[in-house]
Amino acid sequence: MLVIRDLTKTYSSGVQALGGVSLDLSPGVFGLLGPNGSGKTTLMKIVATLLEPDSGTIQMNGADLIARKDHTRRMLGYLPQDFGLYPTLTAWQMLDYLAKLKGVTNKKERHALIGALLERVNLWSARTQRLGGFSGGMRQRLGIAQALIGEPALIIVDEPTAGLDPEERVRFHNLLSETASENTVVILSTHIVSDVSNLCTSMAIIRQGKILSACTPRQAVDELKGSVWEGAVPREQLTAFNSEFNVISSRMFDGQARVRVIAKGKQPGEDFSQAEPVLEDYYFDLVNR
Amino acid sequence: MRNPFHTPFAAVFTNEVLLSARRVAPYALMMLFSANAVLWWGWGPAVAKGWATNSDFYIHRNLVGFSFILGLPILNAVIMGDPVVRDLRLDVYPLIFSKPIGRGSYLLGKFFGNFFVLVCCQAVFAITLFVLQWVPFSGMVTLPVRVLPYVRHFFFVVVISHLVLAAFYFAVGTLSRNAKIVFGLAVCFYPVYITYLLLLKSIPGVGVFTDPLNLQSQSGLDPWSRSADFLNQYVVSYSASSYANRVWMIAVSAIILFVVYSRFAIAARTKPSEMTVLRLSSAAEIVPYTLDGGSSYQLLDSTNDAMFDRDRVELPKVSATRSPATTLSKLLAAVGMEFRLLRAERSLIVIAPLAIVLSIFDLAFYRVVPEISYSVTYASGTAKALLLFLVGMIVFYTGEAMHRDREVKIEPVVWSTPAPNIVLLLSKFLGTVVLALSLVVGVGLTATVIQLVRGHTPVDFSAYLLVYGVVLVPGVLLVTAFVVALNILLRNKYLAYVLAIGTSAGLFYLYSTGHNHWLYNPLLHQLWTYPDLTNQTILISRLYFLTLTAAFLMLALLRHERAR
Repeated sequence: MLVIRDLTKTYSSGVQALGGVSLDLSPGVFGLLGPNGSGKTTLMKIVATLLEPDSGTIQMNGADLIARKDHTRRMLGYLPQDFGLYPTLTAWQMLDYLAKLKGVTNKKERHALIGALLERVNLWSARTQRLGGFSGGMRQRLGIAQALIGEPALIIVDEPTAGLDPEERVRFHNLLSETASENTVVILSTHIVSDVSNLCTSMAIIRQGKILSACTPRQAVDELKGSVWEGAVPREQLTAFNSEFNVISSRMFDGQARVRVIAKGKQPGEDFSQAEPVLEDYYFDLVNR
Repeated sequence: MRNPFHTPFAAVFTNEVLLSARRVAPYALMMLFSANAVLWWGWGPAVAKGWATNSDFYIHRNLVGFSFILGLPILNAVIMGDPVVRDLRLDVYPLIFSKPIGRGSYLLGKFFGNFFVLVCCQAVFAITLFVLQWVPFSGMVTLPVRVLPYVRHFFFVVVISHLVLAAFYFAVGTLSRNAKIVFGLAVCFYPVYITYLLLLKSIPGVGVFTDPLNLQSQSGLDPWSRSADFLNQYVVSYSASSYANRVWMIAVSAIILFVVYSRFAIAARTKPSEMTVLRLSSAAEIVPYTLDGGSSYQLLDSTNDAMFDRDRVELPKVSATRSPATTLSKLLAAVGMEFRLLRAERSLIVIAPLAIVLSIFDLAFYRVVPEISYSVTYASGTAKALLLFLVGMIVFYTGEAMHRDREVKIEPVVWSTPAPNIVLLLSKFLGTVVLALSLVVGVGLTATVIQLVRGHTPVDFSAYLLVYGVVLVPGVLLVTAFVVALNILLRNKYLAYVLAIGTSAGLFYLYSTGHNHWLYNPLLHQLWTYPDLTNQTILISRLYFLTLTAAFLMLALLRHERAR
């Protein structure tokens, strides 16, 4: 169980990235959703021991992760949002080096692990290629592989599916789900709502350094039952409609705007019909509020 | 009429100049050339011989030397070898080639942009000599201030010579799309060119058409047999064969550029291994099956099965250990990695051979008078000559090592591993030390080979061990630790370069003015002879500097940016 309490962080530029974040994360995949600049990466960096918070605590199974950084790093697998690799090394050499730094000293075990990881992320055939020639997707997959070295109990993945094709994305989801065992907490930071709905057992939405909501994806969707409507609005009335209702999306079709609206306890118009809520509705409802 | 500053050529040209303006290499070259100009002006033979430092003869002599020595042909390759390769390596070429820009504009913009930067760097040498006319010191002979000889000789001797070399390196780099081939050719320049000069000495006239530096056509004036008055009044005039050579070299440059233009394809070259191979499926790849046992057969691509097979690969259990032996194993891995990454620095291809050649130059080509033995003279000579290179190398490569992880954005990945700070720091320190010591070993081995070739036997390895072990090794350790600490404290590579070079220059200036003491002379510059190396003062000095090394490393560890 990972417990985050009253975490605050203000950068020297005066920007407050986190303003008292508190979260309880059970084993499983936890989704952290938020728009760009909401404080997701700052929170990830603090949990990954790369940044010192101004105040607050982080504990995992009773151990203080901020005070005991070496302990934290021994159980950590981290995939940063924007990371690089040594271009002159091969995929195998890179993973071998990182495995050594993670304390996997037994050569036989290490090589077996690296082979399996490369197989899992579909880079086995590229294991002797230099990383400088890797495409964005290949680099991302290698980043995922390195985060899984050493059976980490806490895995932090920041925007992991960026640059992956749909097939690899599904494969990554499977890999992450399998990795998230009963003893492993996986924090998935993303702004792709479908990643959270596909993968996560619980989630939080963060905006401007504050947690707006923490629940399960099911609870989030249930909260909107009976409040999501779809219908058409004449183009000339769209501006007025937007100011009156919480419009989630609108697209032009046949001279009219097809809109999706959240309206609790009130039908937006006669032609509107109820729609099945999805997680995106909940996200946009909160973030746009 | 089209504004020439708004053409694609001008855009590429300007961009190349701006890119170079953000690199360290041109500024480092300018500093090197300017410092050498000062050295050749004030501490060359002119002052001792009474030659005017701004006479036509001396300006020409300095520029001929400058054009050939100082590794200028190699530095030319560093700047001219990879302008096009860089675009391909950084994947910028699709952005550029999707614009309406012709091959000619692109290639000429690239070539002349970089050649302009090269000439600017070279011009610093001539400009420094020009400016120094106003500040002669006592005992130095100067003529009235002059301008034209500097311009004339610089253009004739330096610019045209390096134009043809630049065109050659540019052509090889662009057409092969491999900068390493260019650097390899550059490294071979001196041996090939010296062999060529020796071989063609007996065939007069051939040099006119084949000598890029035009050294064959230089006047046969022997300055040592002429009076200072004669040389100060002497006006260098170029012969018809010199003019023919220069015109021919310009023509050759144009021909080379035309070949590049005609052979260069804008499309990125596909590696054979990346080509799609169209072939018929083999029977094993497809499996026929029926959905309902009826007549409708479908094909199942078994590669899908193969794809999902890898999803079933279990990640094996591993044991991550924690002990002093594990920490040592992490340190060894990290040092190995740093050394590997430093070896991959392309500038090393130029700097290492240059350092070796210049360190053994005197011993290889001049008369060697043995002090105690030939080995002692060789070891001492190379140790003294190598000092400057070692300091430069350590300053530069330590900066690269300390900031590389951040620059390639791998720092968060490495810093989130359970490797202690001391492992990360010592790996940078030891990686650079191993690199510097590899150079020392390289110079030592080359010196022993020269000893054997010249018949200066027997080779006494203990002399090399003593000189290098007492003078060079502690110096390397101290300078590296100092630069590591400087980079940690300043957190800015360029500021650390400036401060480290400034400190070194300041100290060498102090030593040259007589303020020289072992307390602040870690490299023992001008403070030792071979018999001194085993005396107590030197050994205390070495211990003192090793203690300082440890102190610098401790300071770096305490101020390391990564939280403990």
